[in-house]
Amino acid sequence: MELLKVLGELCSAHGVSGDENKASLIAADHLREFATVTVDAFGNVYGHVGEQDENKQTLMLEAHIDEIGYIVTYITDEGFLKISNCGGTDDRAITAQQVSVLGREKLPGIVTSVPPHLQKDSGEDSDDSFYVDIGLTKQQAEQLVSPGDGVLVENKLECMQGHLVTSKALDDRCGVAAVLLALDKLKNKQTSYNICVLFSAQEETGERGAKTGSYKLDADLAVAVDVSFAKTHYESEDTTGILGKGVMIGVAPSLSRELSDAFISTAEKCGIAYQIEVMNGRTGTDADQISVTRTGVKTVTLSIPQRYMHTPVEVIDLMDVENTAALIAEFVQGRCEK
Amino acid sequence: MKELLKNLCLLNGISGDEGRVREFIISQIKDHAQLTVDPLGNLIAFCKGKPSKNRVLVSAHMDEVGLIVTYINSDGTLKFDCVGGVDPKVVFAKRVRVGDQSVLGVIAHKAVHNISKDERIKTVPFENLVIDIGCESREQAEKLVRQGDSVHFVSEFLEFGDGFVKCKAIDDRAGCAMMIKLIQDRPEYDTYFTFVVQEEIGLRGATTASYSVDPDFAFVLESTTASDIPGAENDKKVCELGKGPVVSYMDRHTIYDKEMYDLAFDTAKSNNIPCQTKSVIAGGNDAGAIHISRGGVRTTAVSLPCRYLHSPSCVIKQSDMDNAYKLIKLLLDRTYNK
Repeated sequence: MELLKVLGELCSAHGVSGDENKASLIAADHLREFATVTVDAFGNVYGHVGEQDENKQTLMLEAHIDEIGYIVTYITDEGFLKISNCGGTDDRAITAQQVSVLGREKLPGIVTSVPPHLQKDSGEDSDDSFYVDIGLTKQQAEQLVSPGDGVLVENKLECMQGHLVTSKALDDRCGVAAVLLALDKLKNKQTSYNICVLFSAQEETGERGAKTGSYKLDADLAVAVDVSFAKTHYESEDTTGILGKGVMIGVAPSLSRELSDAFISTAEKCGIAYQIEVMNGRTGTDADQISVTRTGVKTVTLSIPQRYMHTPVEVIDLMDVENTAALIAEFVQGRCEK
Repeated sequence: MKELLKNLCLLNGISGDEGRVREFIISQIKDHAQLTVDPLGNLIAFCKGKPSKNRVLVSAHMDEVGLIVTYINSDGTLKFDCVGGVDPKVVFAKRVRVGDQSVLGVIAHKAVHNISKDERIKTVPFENLVIDIGCESREQAEKLVRQGDSVHFVSEFLEFGDGFVKCKAIDDRAGCAMMIKLIQDRPEYDTYFTFVVQEEIGLRGATTASYSVDPDFAFVLESTTASDIPGAENDKKVCELGKGPVVSYMDRHTIYDKEMYDLAFDTAKSNNIPCQTKSVIAGGNDAGAIHISRGGVRTTAVSLPCRYLHSPSCVIKQSDMDNAYKLIKLLLDRTYNK
């Protein structure tokens, strides 16, 4: 599997929470190479890999397919679109961006920026709402856009120095890519578990797809692959992971310590670089929902370090994706056992 | 003129680094005018026509606002400052290109998850921001960039809505585009055109260029802030897109020649060209330097209303540009032998 190409396709796809269809279909297309695939009305993508053996436990590999974005709430008399956030957007990151409005057709637009003479002395805008300028009158706009349409910044994947890439929606398309890459590594290999896959909808608005999806898949164990904070210029390394230093294995009261330890021991045994990410309660990822599904699921998080989360300029290191996939593949083949 | 505007906007040329823009303009007009480049980098073009009573100058600036690398940090990130008046709000979560090697960088800050509620709506000032080009060390970064390197916004030239265009640097490549067309259309009488440098850092190019030309009358072709956006009261909009070129009576640098101001509106009215003035005394342009050049120059500014000025997403309406072009041509005809 060509990681850069697949990740590029995944990142380009539209998938603002609640409107994941396009992204789900692209992820499903790639997943079909390794699994029997279905997509449900919620936008969740399900895959079953190979024959299911009743004597084996089932392990779910999970990543979310949705991305943060905005949603149209109102069309003003001037024909501008008032927008509200969909997921935990960084509202500092939206001013003067070129966006796409996913109306009856895709419309380009610009998020307004308030010029200095209209800003309050405090530097804050006089109005805390965001508007998209689509260059149309209200009448023209109403033909093409309605409240509920998604809005996003369409920064495509671009390579930076080394193995770094920047794009919108790397959170969590790089997790999806890591799962696909792991399945690619597992092709024609014996596994210790039955493998199923969930690419979940609506993580960013409250881990909702993971709730219904993990109910349907009813797995014994789960690995939630997502992104986590990597050190930028602005943090010290005692508070974040480091880009390029490997997958972040989650350790938290809400996660299965047994599973965390098993992943750590696999990484040690196979010489795969890893970092430990300690969280003091829940994880803020789909793992929080998955672990309390039905009678309970032993769950661990594997996080790909990321800079500038929830902005259109998210940055990751492709080697961390490779390394996450490698760890999953080794674990699934039972490498942690002596 | 749109194609010309696109070519000009996509060239990178912040104040003090206008060479690429100048070379392109020379390639467009060298067969139509006598050209000189002065010590600051101003391009002065003389179009020979019939002799006229008055010496007439038309001027626009080549430079655009942007950023400059001030220091390379030990962690490989770049400290920077703005060149010209840039609101730090509009550079957040943007892609930029740095230096001669056009290295891709991004500007953002701590993830929204890890900052306080107050910080979430606060603009991060330039002194607290860095450009991340994906380098791990100063040594690595120094192979790609140098202190003093120019930094440009990454911005697509976009046509959208009902006749709108968006790009970086429309201020003032739109003026340059109109001047190129005026030159290519061969004015009837002797006319001087100056494509000047360093407007954005204090009208510096125009100071020397207007001294050299020593005109009786001058016309500045510019872009001026329009805040016809939701939330702005009518008297705070300054001017509006689609209502034609803007002719000012006063801004922060200039009280314009009243007779020429009236002549501009008369000319517009008698030729059914929409034309407007500013509702706020704000901004300024090269007229500020030109009208007090030598013993004084009777100066008029004809500007395009431009939304989100000095951001990566300047927006103008094409009809305003067409109307500005018509108006300036007619105004010149009425000035040569006035």
